[in-house]
Amino acid sequence: MANDDDILTSPVPEPDAEATAAERAHAKTFADLVDKTLSGRTPPAMSADDRALLEVATVIRAASGNVPLAPGKQRSIVEDALRQAIGGPSTSMPSGVTPIASRRRWLPWTVAAGSSLVAAAALAMLWLRAPERAPMAAAAAPATWKSRPADPLIGPIAREHAGDASSRIDYIFADRMDGYRDRRLSRGGKR
Amino acid sequence: MKYGWHAAAFAVLLTIANVVFYVGSRGGASTGQPSVTRVAEPDEVIGQELMMALAQAKNFHHKAKVYMTDGNLAEATTAVRQILSLRFPPNTPEADDVRNDARALLAKLLISQNQLEEAMRTVDEGIAQSPRESFFVANLYTVQGEIHEARALALDTGGEQAKAAEERRSAITSYDKSIKINEVLQKKLMGGK
Repeated sequence: MANDDDILTSPVPEPDAEATAAERAHAKTFADLVDKTLSGRTPPAMSADDRALLEVATVIRAASGNVPLAPGKQRSIVEDALRQAIGGPSTSMPSGVTPIASRRRWLPWTVAAGSSLVAAAALAMLWLRAPERAPMAAAAAPATWKSRPADPLIGPIAREHAGDASSRIDYIFADRMDGYRDRRLSRGGKR
Repeated sequence: MKYGWHAAAFAVLLTIANVVFYVGSRGGASTGQPSVTRVAEPDEVIGQELMMALAQAKNFHHKAKVYMTDGNLAEATTAVRQILSLRFPPNTPEADDVRNDARALLAKLLISQNQLEEAMRTVDEGIAQSPRESFFVANLYTVQGEIHEARALALDTGGEQAKAAEERRSAITSYDKSIKINEVLQKKLMGGK
């Protein structure tokens, strides 16, 4: 590597001067180094001269544009920008942050699940209402289930029985109890 | 991802269809037009509250009967009065009938204790509070006629013949009213107008 210093400190050759074999070899080595760096395989160790030249080459290439970012870096930048747009924390707080890509993957399924729940609830309500509607369509509630005047049961009250309220209440109670039990024991009584 | 959005769209459409169907079925059920096969409302059917009140009225009547058998008219009167303070469900025709029947018995008990004015007040209140005519209201008019007769008898004893005659005419009016109510109700029950 001692030759490296010679290259940088040696006098600048004439523009039309023929390159020496050493210069050609060094140029080829440096070209390989630049290619490796651009493809992301930068050698862990290199000479200070090569590193300086490599940095210059990188700057020149970046200044000329068309420098694609790595896919991971691109995604990180886009997600960070979108996160900040919706008021979320930036990538400086990576903990607890759900990647947008993950959200995008779950969003449709979340919408589907929510809508399905609503649909299931509506169906359940319709089904639960069905037992009430069945007897409604089948038949009206029998008159014996309803509260009603006791006139048909008792009939006209003769004068000699004007004070026989005790026996009449027995009739009324027994009749209404029949209707009450009938309603309670039937399906229609579940109201 | 692609199938996820398809599932979401399907679920949303299913939800909309369900909601439309649900709202439609509710609307049909509540058009406001009474159905021929409509089930009675809960406050129209015989419920536990009505049965409890009827059972209590029955017990008070039996209690009063026992007191009457013993000749204890005061206690019998108290027992019958308790029927009037029973709490029946609102708008139950049985409540009116049972109360009117209790008032008729109470008035007769008061007549037998020579409390004619109290008896008349009991009957008049029952007639005034009745929302409809019934055999029980007719019975109240019958008892009202008996009270007029009892008054006439008392006036006869006191030598007030003119007032006694007036009470007898009132008794006839009450009996006529009772008969008229009975006739109308019987016609109605037999299918006539």
